[in-house]
Amino acid sequence: MSQDTPLLRVRDLKTYFPIKRGVLSRTVGWIKAVDGVSFDIQPGKTLGLVGESGCGKTTVGRSILRLIPSTSGDVSYKGQDFLAYRGEKLRRLRSRMQIIFQDPIGSLNPRMRIGNIIGEPIEVHGIARGEEKRKRVASLLHRVGLDENDAAKYPHEFSGGQRQRIGIARAIALSPDFIVCDEPVSALDVSIQSQILNLLADLRAERNIAYLFIAHNLAVVEHFSDEVAVMYLGRIVEKADARELYANPKHPYTTALLSAVPEPDPRRKRDRIVLGGEVPSPADPPAGCPFHPRCQLTREAAAKGAADPSATVSVVQRGLGGTISLRVLDFDGVRDVESGGETFRVLAKCAAQTPPLEAKNGKPGHVAACWVTE
Amino acid sequence: MQPLLELRNLTVAFDTEAGEIRPVQDVSLSVYPGQTVALVGESGCGKSVTALSILRLIPSPPGKVLGGQILFEGQDLLPRSEKQMQAVRGKDIAMIFQEPMTSLNPVFTVGEQIVEAVQLHQRVGTKQAYEIAEQSMHDVGIADPHKRLHEYPHRLSGGMRQRIMIAMALSCRPKLLIADEPTTALDVTIQAQILELLRELQHERGMAVMLITHDLGVVAENADAVAVMYASRLVECAAVDDLFDSPQHPYTEGLFRAIPRLGQVHERLQTIAGSVPSPRRFPSGCKFHPRCPRMNADPLCAGQEPPLREITPRHWAACHKIDNFAAKPITPPNTDSRRPAEVSR
Repeated sequence: MSQDTPLLRVRDLKTYFPIKRGVLSRTVGWIKAVDGVSFDIQPGKTLGLVGESGCGKTTVGRSILRLIPSTSGDVSYKGQDFLAYRGEKLRRLRSRMQIIFQDPIGSLNPRMRIGNIIGEPIEVHGIARGEEKRKRVASLLHRVGLDENDAAKYPHEFSGGQRQRIGIARAIALSPDFIVCDEPVSALDVSIQSQILNLLADLRAERNIAYLFIAHNLAVVEHFSDEVAVMYLGRIVEKADARELYANPKHPYTTALLSAVPEPDPRRKRDRIVLGGEVPSPADPPAGCPFHPRCQLTREAAAKGAADPSATVSVVQRGLGGTISLRVLDFDGVRDVESGGETFRVLAKCAAQTPPLEAKNGKPGHVAACWVTE
Repeated sequence: MQPLLELRNLTVAFDTEAGEIRPVQDVSLSVYPGQTVALVGESGCGKSVTALSILRLIPSPPGKVLGGQILFEGQDLLPRSEKQMQAVRGKDIAMIFQEPMTSLNPVFTVGEQIVEAVQLHQRVGTKQAYEIAEQSMHDVGIADPHKRLHEYPHRLSGGMRQRIMIAMALSCRPKLLIADEPTTALDVTIQAQILELLRELQHERGMAVMLITHDLGVVAENADAVAVMYASRLVECAAVDDLFDSPQHPYTEGLFRAIPRLGQVHERLQTIAGSVPSPRRFPSGCKFHPRCPRMNADPLCAGQEPPLREITPRHWAACHKIDNFAAKPITPPNTDSRRPAEVSR
């Protein structure tokens, strides 16, 4: 496969949920959980998807696998339109794409023995049965660090970390080349997290598996991913190579997220950008740039631009080492907006128009959706 | 200086169908006025049971304190009657929990709930209690508190609910706040808001905080001293800089190596082998020995529980495999490693 056809190509994916009211359950509005998301994933590579609760990152993963129907958009797998598949063809393709869930307890049937949980997809997809299946299950268990005798046990007999290993064994049972990992380590103890992350990384190297790695822990995502996309209110607001994103962020939301992560080093107390307010409801997102009511940069730009409309200013990103250059292009006034009970002055453009995801001054492929950074 | 809170050899047991288990064993710890002490450990290590026992909130039966003392301002809390304890809870020692939704009553407004806490401990009329409630909501950064007083918990976001819990806990100006995973259920940007709020309030009021968490980043940024628990026991205790600079116990050392850090790229994470033991099946001897990289099949580790010893001045650890371990003095850990001036920073 050439570099031009990615393993997975997602274009303008939208997933809306209806808000229903009244006795007739009329749809009175839409929650735009995912609102126009696009990305590619190459074979054996990992795209990390980060964002706060409610930003739509989980819905992206499930919409791609068609566990939740999407409203519009394209998902193609090896150049073929995955969303158009039906019946047997869909079933066969599904075996190529798997998911690992956050909650290793809730995702395993408590009444099934481990051997059946892992063996069922092998049998359903007609790969093996009987003794051959048993051998495959044993080798899968062995691969994820469990014992083949564990096949006879039930899920409750295992610890959280071991259950996540079972979930991984089930996901790789059909030799997939793409796995959605939805917060795979956030329910686990710190000393267990690194074991599971290493296991996932080894499988990626061995079997050339591509991952969509969804997590809210930025340090984990940086460690694990080749490329990282940051989501806010159903959209990707920044995407770049993992090291580049952390070293040279271009979206003010990314810088705020990075600076909010508590540093496990008491001597490196850093200046923190504490974002005011909270994530707005996706049922009623702000007009213009969805981040503008909480954005520090647009406030600074508004203050500086109002004094001198042709000014180009730069701001040192506190605590992150880099500078973000602000451009005040086609400055067309300021506007007062309310956020968290206070009123702020922002650029009129930020409050009125949604910025496109465009290339910024950085490594190739570094894109961000912001009017004021360059 | 006298510690505000001192635990001496606290041991807590629970009766279960499978027999007695001891989730907290022989824990000694002190918290000084104005200080933040972090109690760190993984699930099932006993950190929450320790906190609940301080307020005598463990259900009894099946739980009971088997031994030890809980001294608050020099007075033992254990012999006190339930009624006397009610006067302590909320007034001298307040607690906030991880899950702000289940800690608030859904059928009362947040104002009513704060007022109830205020009137339990202060002889004030309803009108004045509402004024105190409004002021404490203002203090925790809630915009428009007059209106928010009359809202029900479900109308508020997770971060807002945690602010209400803090407002309620602080309404009677406690000397000690026990915060059990106060930000674990919150997003990082909201976590940053809440932790900053707690730091500000603490410095304003000189309150001590016992911060229970599993997040070493939160510890590094907020604590003055740290106590690490593993499988019911304290395994290490030191000032925060000491602990992060030179962890002595192999478990603490392993934890530090296992966490991925922003901006530091390692191809592979170091791990701690095995899994966290359940209180039903604690190993013999040193409870960490089956996972320990230092052990090398030493029968001492498997056979004998190492006591906490003072390895370097004001740095305690419990591990046979520290040079000259047996020669170090056994003393109760003491977190008063900073001058009060430093504590109030």
